[in-house]
Amino acid sequence: MRVEDEMPVDFGGNWERDYSRGDDVDAVLREVYRQLARANQDQRYAGVPAAVAAPQPKAMSSILPLARLAELITRPDVLYITQDEYRIRVDRKDDYSLECTFFGGVARATDSDYGLEVCGWDGDELVSNLVLPDGLEITYRFAISDDAKALRIVTTLESPTSRLPFTLRRFYRKFEYAPGDFNCIETLSMKRVCSTTEIEP
Amino acid sequence: MTTTSWIRCPALAVLLLTAWPAAGDGVRDPTALDVSIVRFDPGIPADSSLHRELQVFPRIREIEAKLLPFVLRETLVESGEWGAVRVVPEADPAAELLVSGVILRSDGDVLDVAIRALDASGRIWIDGPFSVVAGEDGPEGEDRTGEQAFRQLYEDVAGALLEKRNGLDDKTLRTIADLSLLRYAAELAPSAFGDYFEAAEDGRFELRRLPASDDPMLQRIDRIRHTEYVITDTVDAKYRELNTAIDRTYRVWRSYRRKFVEYQAQNAARAARKVDAPRGSYEALKAQYDTYKWDRITAQEQYKAAAAFDTEVGPTVDAMEVRVAELEAWVDARYLEWRRLLEALFEVETRQEPGDSDIADIAEQIEQLPEHTLPETR
Repeated sequence: MRVEDEMPVDFGGNWERDYSRGDDVDAVLREVYRQLARANQDQRYAGVPAAVAAPQPKAMSSILPLARLAELITRPDVLYITQDEYRIRVDRKDDYSLECTFFGGVARATDSDYGLEVCGWDGDELVSNLVLPDGLEITYRFAISDDAKALRIVTTLESPTSRLPFTLRRFYRKFEYAPGDFNCIETLSMKRVCSTTEIEP
Repeated sequence: MTTTSWIRCPALAVLLLTAWPAAGDGVRDPTALDVSIVRFDPGIPADSSLHRELQVFPRIREIEAKLLPFVLRETLVESGEWGAVRVVPEADPAAELLVSGVILRSDGDVLDVAIRALDASGRIWIDGPFSVVAGEDGPEGEDRTGEQAFRQLYEDVAGALLEKRNGLDDKTLRTIADLSLLRYAAELAPSAFGDYFEAAEDGRFELRRLPASDDPMLQRIDRIRHTEYVITDTVDAKYRELNTAIDRTYRVWRSYRRKFVEYQAQNAARAARKVDAPRGSYEALKAQYDTYKWDRITAQEQYKAAAAFDTEVGPTVDAMEVRVAELEAWVDARYLEWRRLLEALFEVETRQEPGDSDIADIAEQIEQLPEHTLPETR
């Protein structure tokens, strides 16, 4: 994973899910099924076409939880990404924000008793990797199209209990907020304060 | 140097040449030392990568460093045991009693502050950490949650100072007050006052002798010091205004911090709960993920609250900082002038044959001088 002094890509903006693109969980599961079947076939029944072979039930059942969790954590249909010279933050509804903060050009890990999250650049892709105590590993790879209007996030879940990882691709389109009639600020004691004029706290 | 050349600032000349009551003319309770509480060191680690881990919000720590001394000041004033108690932006080594502090930890649950108190003779009164944990049982079922608990810390500091002071006799306390004035005087006019006391290598100061009570130079020094006190009191009033302006929001912040501490405890309890599901199952994986997710959400919400706090009180704090900086700059500029004039005056007064024409010159100018004015208070 390469860490740059300057951010190579600007992901900043509001992104909404592009449902016309991306992976269908069932289709990915079918593909995994075929891969496991092929692997099983290679090991046991050389010469029999993979299409008629079946994977070991245990191997298939161990990937289903990963698929369900992958679907859950990639569910948000809108992402708000803020980016400055030191930090990228991806706000997601009903989930924590993915954050990548750079100190002196080096991405800082988020380490706690509950998991270790590291991030950085791999070429023009932003990679965020989370390892949970029992070995569950979640990796997000963010990439942007040449015209900067489309965002692709590839999410991969791996677990010591599953022979294969599970990967889902999601696509997002950039959208702009229409400027509102109100100026708003977040305050502590009064929460969100809005006005039609300039606000002075 | 001629007399007229060093009277560059007429207002200051009035200050220096007008007769003022001698220091100590009034009857002063020797035990009621003046206390200067210097703005606390916010204790922000230089390594910014540690801020998150240590739960340090730098901007809020800086604000706390201005607010917490004020609470200590209020506690000392309310005790009625001390002379003037002021919050000052910079340490004044000549203060009768100088109290400084470093914030070691400040969240909704724990407040740790290292306090050091030093008198003008270089004697250390207290030097160590004071700590309070909200929610710990207080005596007699006393409410030890929230702000009430943190109040205890200041009372502990006030109690420690009082205990130390009560262990010193009146003569020692008078000497502290005398050394304070003489050290201040020596800063301004080292030629005149530098040999009244001696500085030892261990940082202590010994009084050698005292100037006459009607020493005109000392009267001028005393007058200058009181002028500086007027500015200091103006700065102190600014801190008071700040406290009034943001106290409510700061209390909300503290209550948020307490909530976050509760949430963190809930997260820990959730993590410790055994999941009744086989390893690798969806339920087991989701439980792991949720534990991490809630821990991160708690931390991130805390940062959002910190940002909202800064949005709300930042402009007030910044405006106060600007005004305090103006006042400090005013004092610094005058201080240099006072020092230069006093040294020159001492030189004139100790000349074997002072020139009468110099005195006449000064007198004539005094007649034409405007009233001495302090910087406009906003």
